[in-house]
Amino acid sequence: MKFRTASVLVTALAASLALTACGGGREGTTDDGASQMASGSAAAAEGFAPDATIGVALPWLGTQNWKEAEVMFTEQLTEAGFSPLVQAADNKVPQQQQQIEAMIEQGAKAIVVGPVDGTQLGSVLDKAADAGVAVIGYDRLIENTDAVDAIVQFGSVRTGELQGQSLLDGLEASGEGPYNIELFGGGPADPNAPNFFTGAMSVLQPKIDDGTLVVVSGQTDFTQVATQDWDNSKAQARMDSLLSGFYADKQIDGVLSPNDGIARAILTSSEQAGQDLPIVTGLDAENESIVSIAAGEQYSTVAKPTQDLVAKTVELIQALQKGEDLPAADETADNGVKEVDVYALSPVVVTLDNAAEVFADDPDRLALLEG
Amino acid sequence: MKTIKQIFGGNLQQYTMVLALALLAIIFNVVSDGRMLTSSNIQNLISGNAYVLILAIGMVMVIVIGQIDLSVGSVAGFVGMVVAITCTNYGWPWWLGLLTGLATGALIGAWHGFWLAKIGIPGFITTLAGMMIFRGLVIWISKSISVPVPDQFQVLGAGYLPEWGPAWTGMNNSTLLLGILAGGWFVASQLRHRSHALARGVESPLWVALVRIALILAVVGYVTWLFGSGRPGTSFPIPGLILVALVVIYHVITQRTRFGRHIYAVGGNKAAAALSGVNTARTYFLVMLNMSFLAAVAGILFVGRATAAGPSDGTMWELDAIAAVFIGGAAVSGGIGTVVGSMVGGLVMAVLNSGLMLMGVGADQTQVIKGLVLLAAVAFDVYNKQQGRPSILGHLMRSFGRDATSTKAADREPQESVEVPAATGPVVDAADTMPETVEAARRES
Repeated sequence: MKFRTASVLVTALAASLALTACGGGREGTTDDGASQMASGSAAAAEGFAPDATIGVALPWLGTQNWKEAEVMFTEQLTEAGFSPLVQAADNKVPQQQQQIEAMIEQGAKAIVVGPVDGTQLGSVLDKAADAGVAVIGYDRLIENTDAVDAIVQFGSVRTGELQGQSLLDGLEASGEGPYNIELFGGGPADPNAPNFFTGAMSVLQPKIDDGTLVVVSGQTDFTQVATQDWDNSKAQARMDSLLSGFYADKQIDGVLSPNDGIARAILTSSEQAGQDLPIVTGLDAENESIVSIAAGEQYSTVAKPTQDLVAKTVELIQALQKGEDLPAADETADNGVKEVDVYALSPVVVTLDNAAEVFADDPDRLALLEG
Repeated sequence: MKTIKQIFGGNLQQYTMVLALALLAIIFNVVSDGRMLTSSNIQNLISGNAYVLILAIGMVMVIVIGQIDLSVGSVAGFVGMVVAITCTNYGWPWWLGLLTGLATGALIGAWHGFWLAKIGIPGFITTLAGMMIFRGLVIWISKSISVPVPDQFQVLGAGYLPEWGPAWTGMNNSTLLLGILAGGWFVASQLRHRSHALARGVESPLWVALVRIALILAVVGYVTWLFGSGRPGTSFPIPGLILVALVVIYHVITQRTRFGRHIYAVGGNKAAAALSGVNTARTYFLVMLNMSFLAAVAGILFVGRATAAGPSDGTMWELDAIAAVFIGGAAVSGGIGTVVGSMVGGLVMAVLNSGLMLMGVGADQTQVIKGLVLLAAVAFDVYNKQQGRPSILGHLMRSFGRDATSTKAADREPQESVEVPAATGPVVDAADTMPETVEAARRES
């Protein structure tokens, strides 16, 4: 009786063997070894079929920009004649690893990766490189591996500078200093988050040093101000405790917020604490924040039009498909293993003053502004 | 029908989950145009899920003693981070980092075991606290920044066995060797089993043994071919090898040792076990210690595969492990559940995940489907019980009780049903049951 189950399994698998004799095993496994030797940029030297499968692995669909990316990638890749395979990973690293492996398995010729954690895809992307798949990092740097061909993103330090400058402009327009401010950072697992903060601090730090800006809580290190997983509720909880701990008898004038979700959490918290609404920055130009800006609540956001980012990525894929060299990169970034080509796009600051202008071509957001 | 029964040895209902697993693999293979049962996909499946399956080994023991461990994800994440920081930031050699990680895991387990066994805080509370404590510590020591690990860990977490010997075999010879060892082992134990049966005067026709051997060789051969025939340089993955070794070790511990019997006795009826002279506190302590140790192993394999330890590693892993254990037939009330069953449960989840991804189903819908499968698997068991029919587990227990009283054969052949490493498929053993003492104790209560 000990082998009953074993025997059942035997039959089951034997049956599957019979059923899958044509499908299983050796297909796609006959590499001559050449493509394995040259990982990374060797991927598509001779191009691939114009209707090839293109994988797009996104971290999650929990914020508007990622949902937009999902829709736009599907549309634009289809329009370009490819067959897109767009998946999101619920912000879980193991899930994303498996999705990328599944894309390789499905014969994707290029994979666009918006990583959950840019450092944790090393061995999976090595597999992609071994299989001759081109890897393009989307929106976030991919670190710790040489199996990445290019990164398309908005300059993240630049984004931070814009946020810092916009906070300063907003405060100066609101009245005389010194101003009481607090700082918030993004999710530490996202390599962009420290860059946003660095960029913003490059603008704000001199003003803190000369006394124009006062960080009342004294929390100015990235690790102190970071918001785990970009989680709005965590930011709101932190803001609540800052306000009750440090602002019982003070007015808060401004808050550096790394994105729109956190900005709205900060505004909600301030409102509940009975404060006048501070000048708050943002990022992503989410619908709710557009409404909030139109209503004079949130001061600014930085738009990183997903449209531009997706269009640039698709352009690179088309170059790979034809077997052409990629256009010259704007800069390179050290990912810990090699210097990766980065295609850096420029973001745009949006305030009540220029919103109508920035979104002139975006009927949805324009409607929000007017509504 | 009778012939089939002779070959498989009785009630097919026992193998529902194994059959479901095989069926799932076949269906997905057909739907995905043969992408499911390919070398690379199966290799990915094993190395991508080894960490959950290793957690499930420990978790089934925790659940059998009637506790639950919610901290395993945080502990795995913490250990991974400890390893990464000692190796990368402090410059320790990789093996020292590895040992430090395992020791850290055991220490954490002792901490949980202390509160549960000595102080008497329920495991749910102890480990809920652990979940918060160690998640906080990961973020604290890492300052929320991912830390890379040395390349040696990548071998552990995603590596392959070496290529050697002649090329005419057409596959990885390390894998082939494992396959041959596994096949030989199965055949030998099959023959030994038959000779024991004959010695006891039990009827055991030769053709039945031969058919079984042929089937076993076919499946071992197929699995070996599947793993070994991939792209050159790939083989049965190293994390899979570690997993199989652990499954064998823990199968023997739970089914063939006194400690293993104590686990089932304590879980089945704590009072009765204590009165029979089982040291329940010691059993609790060791099971909790072991769980965190295995969480450490899982954490290390994961950071190896990911090439870096991140601040959110391990989030929700406990629930994946718990789901695997319950799909594998464990009872919430404790006392029931097997290591091998949990592996089948974990593989069902893994195959579902992989298959749905190959079909391009999103993470959202995959979650829904996995939830429904968990519910259905447990509901099936409960329904069978309510209908007055014995559940799958009831069948297992009954057949074991009958066998044990009539022959006592199991005790005489301690190694007989141990799975052989290279047989990577889930080979559930009909003797995977709880000892009759526990069953007796249950009847009384």
